[in-house]
This record gives sequence, C-alpha cells and structure tokens, in this order.
Amino acid sequence: MIAKGFTEPTERIKKLKAEVVNAVPEVEAYRAVLITEAYKESEGMPAVMRRAKACEKIFNNLPVVIRDNELIVGALSVAPRSTNLCPEFSYDWVEKEFKTMATRMCDPFVIPEDVADTLHEVFKYWKGKTTSELATSYMSQECLDCQAGGVFTVGNYYFGGIGHVCVDYGKVLKIGFKGVIAEAAAKMDELDRNDPEFLQKRNFYEAVIISYNAAINFAKRYSKKAAEMAATCNDPVRKAELIQISKNCDRVPENGATNFYEACQSFWFVQALVQIEANGHSISPGRFDQYMWPYLEADKEISKEFAQELIDCIFVLLNHVNKTRDDVSDQAFAGYAVFQNFGVGGQDRYGMDATNPVSYMCMDAAAHVKLPAPSFSVRIHNGTPDEFLLRACELARLGMGVPAMYNDEAIIPALCNRGLTLADARDYCIIGCVEPQCPHKTDGWHDAAFFNVAKVFDIAIHGGKNRDGKQLGPVTPPMPEWKSMDDVYKNLEIQMQYFVEKLVEADNAVDIAHKERAPLPFMSALVEDCLGRGKTVMEGGAIYNFTGPQAFGNVDTGDAIYAIQKHVFEDKDLTMAQIYEAMEHNFGAELGAGCYDGPFVRLSTDTADAAPACNSCEEKVDLTDDMESLINAIVKKVLAEKGASVDLSDGCADACQAACCGISDAKRAEYDRIRQILDATPCFGNDDDAPDMCARKATQIYSYEVEKYMNPRGGQYQAGCYPVSANVLFGKDVQALPDGRYSNAPLADGVSPRQGHDVKGPTAAGNSVAKLDQLNISNGTLYNQKFLPSAVAGDQGLMNFAAVVRNYFDKKGMHVQFNVIDKETLLDAQAHPENYKDLVVRVAGYSAHWTVLAKEVQDDIIARTEQSF
Amino acid sequence: MEQQLVEPYSDVEVKGLVFNIQRFSVNDGPGVRTIVFLNGCPLRCKWCCNPESQELKPVVMFKAQNCVGCGNCTVVCPTGASDLNVPGKIDHSKCIACGKCVDVCYHKALEMSGKEMRVEDLMIELYKDRVVYRRSGGGITVSGGEALVQHEFLLELLKTCKSLGWHTAIETTGFASKEVLDKIVPWLDLVMMDIKHINPEIHKEFTGVDNKKILENAIYISGIANEMIVRVPVIPGFNADRTTIAGIAEFTSKYMHNIRELHLLPYHDLGSNKYGMLGKDYELTGVKAPETSTMEELKETVEKFGLQCKIGG
Repeated sequence: MIAKGFTEPTERIKKLKAEVVNAVPEVEAYRAVLITEAYKESEGMPAVMRRAKACEKIFNNLPVVIRDNELIVGALSVAPRSTNLCPEFSYDWVEKEFKTMATRMCDPFVIPEDVADTLHEVFKYWKGKTTSELATSYMSQECLDCQAGGVFTVGNYYFGGIGHVCVDYGKVLKIGFKGVIAEAAAKMDELDRNDPEFLQKRNFYEAVIISYNAAINFAKRYSKKAAEMAATCNDPVRKAELIQISKNCDRVPENGATNFYEACQSFWFVQALVQIEANGHSISPGRFDQYMWPYLEADKEISKEFAQELIDCIFVLLNHVNKTRDDVSDQAFAGYAVFQNFGVGGQDRYGMDATNPVSYMCMDAAAHVKLPAPSFSVRIHNGTPDEFLLRACELARLGMGVPAMYNDEAIIPALCNRGLTLADARDYCIIGCVEPQCPHKTDGWHDAAFFNVAKVFDIAIHGGKNRDGKQLGPVTPPMPEWKSMDDVYKNLEIQMQYFVEKLVEADNAVDIAHKERAPLPFMSALVEDCLGRGKTVMEGGAIYNFTGPQAFGNVDTGDAIYAIQKHVFEDKDLTMAQIYEAMEHNFGAELGAGCYDGPFVRLSTDTADAAPACNSCEEKVDLTDDMESLINAIVKKVLAEKGASVDLSDGCADACQAACCGISDAKRAEYDRIRQILDATPCFGNDDDAPDMCARKATQIYSYEVEKYMNPRGGQYQAGCYPVSANVLFGKDVQALPDGRYSNAPLADGVSPRQGHDVKGPTAAGNSVAKLDQLNISNGTLYNQKFLPSAVAGDQGLMNFAAVVRNYFDKKGMHVQFNVIDKETLLDAQAHPENYKDLVVRVAGYSAHWTVLAKEVQDDIIARTEQSF
Repeated sequence: MEQQLVEPYSDVEVKGLVFNIQRFSVNDGPGVRTIVFLNGCPLRCKWCCNPESQELKPVVMFKAQNCVGCGNCTVVCPTGASDLNVPGKIDHSKCIACGKCVDVCYHKALEMSGKEMRVEDLMIELYKDRVVYRRSGGGITVSGGEALVQHEFLLELLKTCKSLGWHTAIETTGFASKEVLDKIVPWLDLVMMDIKHINPEIHKEFTGVDNKKILENAIYISGIANEMIVRVPVIPGFNADRTTIAGIAEFTSKYMHNIRELHLLPYHDLGSNKYGMLGKDYELTGVKAPETSTMEELKETVEKFGLQCKIGG
C-alpha cells in the first residue's frame, strides 16, 4: 500500500482543539489601553523609541494566560481565539462597528459593552495620529478617486500593520533574545559618532534592547505564573507539566534552546510576540522543518510520540491567533484568516533535497489537528522523494485543502530574476497566501493591494469613464470606436499605465506612513540586515525589499478580449457596437443576474418566448434584493471611508433601471442572444491556445507594467495574481464584459479559469493556467483545483494525483491547491451548518471553517468546477 | 509552411469519425489517459451508454433542459428533419447531419456528436497531455463504438502514438475479422476486451449479435496480444448471476492464453438520458445497479478460477 493512513491525535490535542472550535471570538481592550498609555508617556520621543516603549508596556502588562492541557504557552488574548486591537494603525471602523460586529456577515466578533466603552475612551487619543490618516494625507485626489472607484484598494497596510514576514526563528533558537540584545549592544558600541546617521542608528539599537528586555520578561511572567499554578495544582501529572513549563519559560527565549521541547516553546514566543507588537497578518513560520530538525535530531531524551504532540500543540496554538478587520476587508479575507504560512520540504541553500522527519511529522500534525491554521505548504522540486509527494497527496485527499503545493523549479528562477542570490532563492519560504520570499532577509510587502484588471478593462471599454459616468482614467476611444485588436490592447495598456501609476502612489504613501509612524523594533531585529544597517525594516533595513500588489480579473479580461477577437474580427458574426449595446443593457438581465448561480432564471423551457422574464425594478426576486442592499452598503462604506460625497446607491438604482426596464422584449431577446454567443466562446482553462494566449497577454500587460516601479525602501514592485476571496467582492464593481459575464457577477479566482468554464478536466485546466507567464508573477500565483474524493481514491488515485501535480509543475506552474470534497457535501453543509462545525475548506491560499464563510463565498466555492471522472 | 506539432506516421490521408476525446481518464488502462471514442458499432447492446456512437455518422443530440423553443432550428433545416413536435426535436430518418440547426441554437440545446478528423487533428489534442502520460505511466485508450470498425484510421493513429513512445490500449467487443486483428493488435500494449455472455442465444438477444466470433477472437487475441484483460459488464437480468459469471471465468482461464486479470464492471444508467436526446427509448429503464454484495460474490466466483478480479476497471 502506498497510502499509510493517519493516526488519531492524543486526548490532550482533542481537548485543546475543542477549545478553538467552540470559541466565540471576542474583541479585547488590553493592548489598546496599554499602547495608548505608553504613547501618552512618550510624547516627543522618536518614533522607533515610542514603539519600543509600547513593546515594553505591552509585554510587561498583557495578561498571562495558561490554558488547561497546554504544554506550550503564550497567549495573545485572554479569551480563546480572540483579538486585541491596534488603534495606532486605524480605529474609526471599529467604532462604527461596535454594535454590528457581533452579527455581521463575515467573521463576527463579540465586543462586550465595557470593552466598547473602554475602547471609545482610548480611541479619542488617536485622532490624527494613525498611520492610516498620515497615508491618506499623502495621497492625491486622483489616487483616492481610483480607490473609491473600485480599481484597486491598498486597505491591508492602510488600516493595519505590515506583517508578511518570516523572522529568524532559527537565530532565537540558537542564541536566544539575550544574543540579540548582545548583538545590538555590540553594534551600538561600534557606532561612530561622526556617522551622519549616528542618532537614528543609536535610537534603533536602544529600541531593540528595550523591546527584547521586555520580551524576556514576558516569558519570565509565564514562568512565574506556571510555578504558581503548579504550587496549587492537585493533579500530580498536570503539576509536573506546569513545573516543566515554568522551567522552559525561565530558560527560553532568553537563552538558546537545549532540547526540542524548549525549541518549540521558544518558537512559539517569537510567533506570539511579533503578533503582539503589531497586527500585520501573514506572520509566517516559514521553513519550520529546517530550523527545528537539528533540535529534534540532537534530543536523545524525547520520544517520537511526545515530539509529535508538541508539534500538534503548535498547530492548535496557531489557531488562537485572531485579527479583526472592517467588514468589507473581511469579505475579502473571509474565515478569520491570519495566514501564518507554515512550510515543509524543498531544497537546502545548496540545492540538495531538504526533507527530514519533521517534514513528515508536520503533515501528521495537520491531519491530527484539522483546523484552519496554519496555512500549510509543501515545496516540491524535481528531486523531491516520491514518498514525500505521495504523502502530501494523501494529506490533500483528506479534503481539508492542505497542503498547498509549491514548485521550486518555477519559484527559484522567478526569485533570481528579482535579484535574489541562487542560495537565497533556494531557501525561499511561503508568506501569507502564496507569496514566496527569502525568509528573514525580506520585507516583501506582499499584500500591497488588490488590483482589479477586469475593472481596468471595463473602464477602457467606456473610454476611461467609471460606471457613474465620471472620467476616472485618461480619455481614450470607447469600445464602439475600436477598429482592430491593436486598438483593444492599446487602450487597455493606456488605462493600465495610468492606474498602475496611481496604485504605486497609494502604496508608497502608505509605505512612508509606516516608516514615519510605526517603525517596529522587535520584528526588525529578527530580519537581516536591520541590526547591521541600524534601521527597522520599515526604513529599508531588510536585504530584499519588494512591493507586491496582487491582481485578479485578468482571466476574465483575457476571455473578454478573445470573445472580441473571435466574434468581431475572425468570425465577424457580431460587431463591436452590438456587443457594446448589449453590455450596456447587461445583456437584457437585471442587475444581480449571475451573481449567484451563473445563468439567470429563465421562463419554463416549454414557452416559445426566448426572452427572460422582465421583473420590474420593484419586483425583484429575493436573491437580487439581498445583493442590491449588500452592494449599496459596501459602496456607501467605501465612499464614506474615502471621504467622497457621491451617493452611489442612487447610481446603482439608475443603472438597474436602465438595464432592465424601458427596453422592449425584442431587444431583450436580442441582447440575450448576443450573450449566449459570447458565453459560448472558447475560453481560458481548456488547453486551447487561442483564448489562453489572450489571458496570458492580459496578465502580462499588468505584470510587466508593475515591475517598472520602485518603492521607498529601495525595492522593486512585483506583480502577484491571487484574489484571496476578493474576486467575489470586487466583481460587484465591474459591469458586463464581452465574455458574457453579467454586471456585478464574481470574477475568476486568481489564475484559475472562470467558475464552471473549465470543462476538459484537471490536466487541461492546469495546462492553461501554466501558459500564463507565471515566472514574471513572482509575488505569487494561486491555482485552485477541486477533486471529488472518488477521483483520487486508492493507491492508483494517489499516484494519478501526484502525476497531475508533477505535470503542472513540469510546465512551470508555481502553486496549486486542492479541495477534495463533493458538491453534495458542500450543499448540505450550507443548509445545515450546525452539522459541519468542523468542516474545513480551502478558500484561496488558506483554509477556513466552512460555517464562518459568507454565503456568497460558499456559493463561489461550490461553483468552481468539480474535476471528476 | 505551417509548423506541425507531430509528424504523422505516414502520408496516408485517412479520416476518422470521432465522437469524443476524454482527457484525464483513470479507469481505462494504467495511469492517466486520454480516451479517443470512435463512431460505429456492429453490436446493439441494450445497456449501451454511448448510443450516439452506434452509427458510423454524426448525429444531432437534443438537450431538452436548454431549449427555450425559439424555433431557429426549424427555420434553417434544409430537409424538414427539425421539428418541434417530434420527440427529441429531430426526425433522424430525415436528418442529414448538416449541422445548420446546431449553429443557430444559441442556447446550446442542440449538439453535434461525431466529428470527422485527420490523425494530425487528433494528435493535437492527444499531445496536450503527453507530460502527464509520462508522469503517471498512462497513455492513449481507443474506445467506441467499436474502435475496430474504423480500422484503417485506427492503424494510422496507433502507429503515430507508438512513434512517440506512448502506451496504447483499446476497449473492444472483439467483433472484427482476423485480418483486422492481425493488423491492429501488434500496435497495442493492452487489449481490454468484453466477454458479455457465454450463451449464444442470450448474447444475441441482448447485443444483437451471436457470440461465436467474439469467443473465437478472444482466444485468438489472447495468443497475439502484448497484454490482455477480460472485462465483463455486469447487467442485472442478463449476466449478473454466479453461474453466468463462472462460465465466463471458466472460458477465460481454460481457453484463453496468459490472462491474469478479469474485471467486473457494474451496470450504470448514466447514459440512459442520451436515448431521450436521440428520440429513442431506453429498454433497461428501471434496472438498478447491482448491489455491492452481489459484486463481491461475483468477484469471489471469478477468483476461484485463479484470476485476479477487480470491480470497476
């Protein structure tokens, strides 16, 4: 048998897991109160020192929590799976959601009344002092208009910390925080007073020393607490465990780890403290198997079972880390995702296979724990042992959406092209969703923006005008005036150049705001070469600096372009004007059609009337009603945030009026006929070169434009192509497209083909996706494939599964992940969420509990083509 | 000069009628395979799940759920075969499969099954999964219809596949002349042949042909094939009993040469809706797939004859 099966977790792990599953996430005020006190006390000090004082205050005072059954300790919140806030980045959205956050559609959090009152008081201090407000002040009106218009959003770092880093865990395991302090002290000692940057550097080193002293104390407080608990513990087994915990926390992370247990505890403190210092997400453990294996290998005392249990404990702990975002962002990051990417396998710095026993133990841990975190990744290269890939396939076959698989043979050259040395590129890890970087040497700024390529094409179609009629981009000829395919591409390129420039303006504004107001000393000391250069990562201290905005809607754009090419220029069965007119009337359907199940509701098949039912604006079906109110709510919110005064809710109503009323049934039938023709056009995802090359070109127009720019840290921009779950939300901003997609319907997911449009099976879809110029999309690509369990059953199924992965990777695909689950299960889970509390699905770059996903995201997952036999 | 992906094996220009190309097939030979379905079959098995393939000509199929009754098809039909009042909307006795109705059916209710292709046209599709054939130990499987009906086309196709080093397999009824078998079998790495029943009368009643030639060919092919697997579609009411299956297994082990595996393929009715799409009646309506326990019993029966038995290919 190739399949080896997975064992049951221990009782302890089951209990620890139950605490996560049953938790009701809360917002807590502790951190917000502490940082506000610290900031009030440090008025007038340099920014980096204020951040150090904040670390000191928080690390010394955040409540110490040791939960029952824990072997590894260190809590970010008092209540399980809860969150603290970081008002220094932004806060006004929380204030607005005090009453609604517990009941909102995505990722609800309970805010107890006293916490809300405390936060209300605390927030008063921060008016005018946040990074968000500073960034806004740096942006031009045009730049703000683009964001309000839905072309892109830089919300991630605009409203929160940066995160997206893999710090040097191995260094802490080796020399401890004491070693970091010693290094900073030595560097400070070496400083030359005549160095023009002397003061800045000295401030940084002092900030590091203050932060790390407090970080050591954080662990000492756990040591003390564990000892106190042990003293009053009546259960001798638990008492012994608490005594051991107390010893561990006394020793690490202050000092280097002397055994595997200490290494695990030390790792966790680093993981926790980086996420207490600030709220940036995607704090990724990276190549855990590489820096942990030496400690397990050298540990002659530990049993394999106990080592496994410790890794399982870490997998559970990663699920206690939780962050809240505003309700719009949370639709884009649905599922309480914090993207702690955890990887195993791959090559070492010299190109040899680096798989070790910890790599396999982590796969077992993922199967034991079965929770959404961590985002679990495996690296595959040509020399990967077959048993490793087969084991990864066996894990994927469990249907939890992990592991995501990454292709060394594509990612390493892609990173070399961005200036990494070969050794650093070989040592890459994955950050957040799918973003590769060299660990602890990179400030990747990977989630720099969501950029909607389909929106840019939509604007190009309308000559630079947004759907409200306002001129958003440069004036170019609208679609009815396009005379050739060159015109199609040229006008897309002109609009693209403009909007990418505005994107860069926005990102750089946010970048500078973080440098000025939130240079983080604790995280920076664990990123090379901040200690050497004497500055934080926000000031350009890292060896590699990037800004990676990710696109989506590129596949839709490619399909739309190919539909024009085929019908207007090749087959000549439609004209540019005909398509344009039909699109302007949303193909005769009302707004909201296609948002749920693709095709709109028809009259019964018996009727001779080909036109769809004309529901008047007042009498829409329920689904459409929901959709309408949702869109309006979101649009209003975005506008309110960006300070714009236009009320688009009327605009939407007008658009709906124009789209579905006041046109004759004959016209409606004609528009529908045009849509049917467009929709039947061969499209991306079926291994058909003609449409695939259009998608490739549309994507390249974006990615090669992005790489022209530099960021304030001296690094290059690089494009990514993954939507998280923003493809649903941002689809609402895009009008009807020439591929037959209705206005406001979801866009394609990352580099994946449009939902339901890849009909030739997984190898054909994979081949199409691999035809995109993925090596240029070096900030990461995301390809979702869904298999039914029957498709990968048995040993032969495992081997075929592995062959599909190898095939995609031979063709230079960078990433693929699998949902192995059947549609009926998902539909049933939608109807009876109470029975599926433990169902975990891969959404896009990460896994989430099915039950916490919004219905629309659930619908989108169901709609993705099932690859079956 | 146009660049060609694959050089055809010879200059002989033969065209074949292909009704489907199915990529990522994993139950029709080793590894991941592409199946080429060829039109034309001398048998008329009552359970046939590809009824559109039986004739050696293209056929228009009708999907009722997509039809909005617009009548475009009736306007363009040159022979009056397109008629909204007949079941399946096409009078197949009048239809010449010109495809005009399919072109104007924007709701995709009408679909043409069966496409004339040259070997080079077909190779463009087959070539696309060459990496996954290599990675999985897969290849090409020809099926039908009865693939041996279009043996000239088949021979050119197999020679071209072998010139690329691909693994080739066939799913066949074995109903063909010895000359055809002599010509085709050497180019196949694996022959998967059906033996449906030992009794000639019952065989004829359910398949339309006598089994004499099939049984003779089974023995003959087993002597010349590189590798051969016997497959039995298990149809309740026809052969889903121990005696019948034992008869087939006995025949296989006693008279055929070097056969290691016999696969039992449980009946399914996934093709039954196609009968309606062709305006035909499905004779086995109401027949249920055999129980798992029945299949297990039959598997044991087969194994008693020293054969390895797999349920479901």
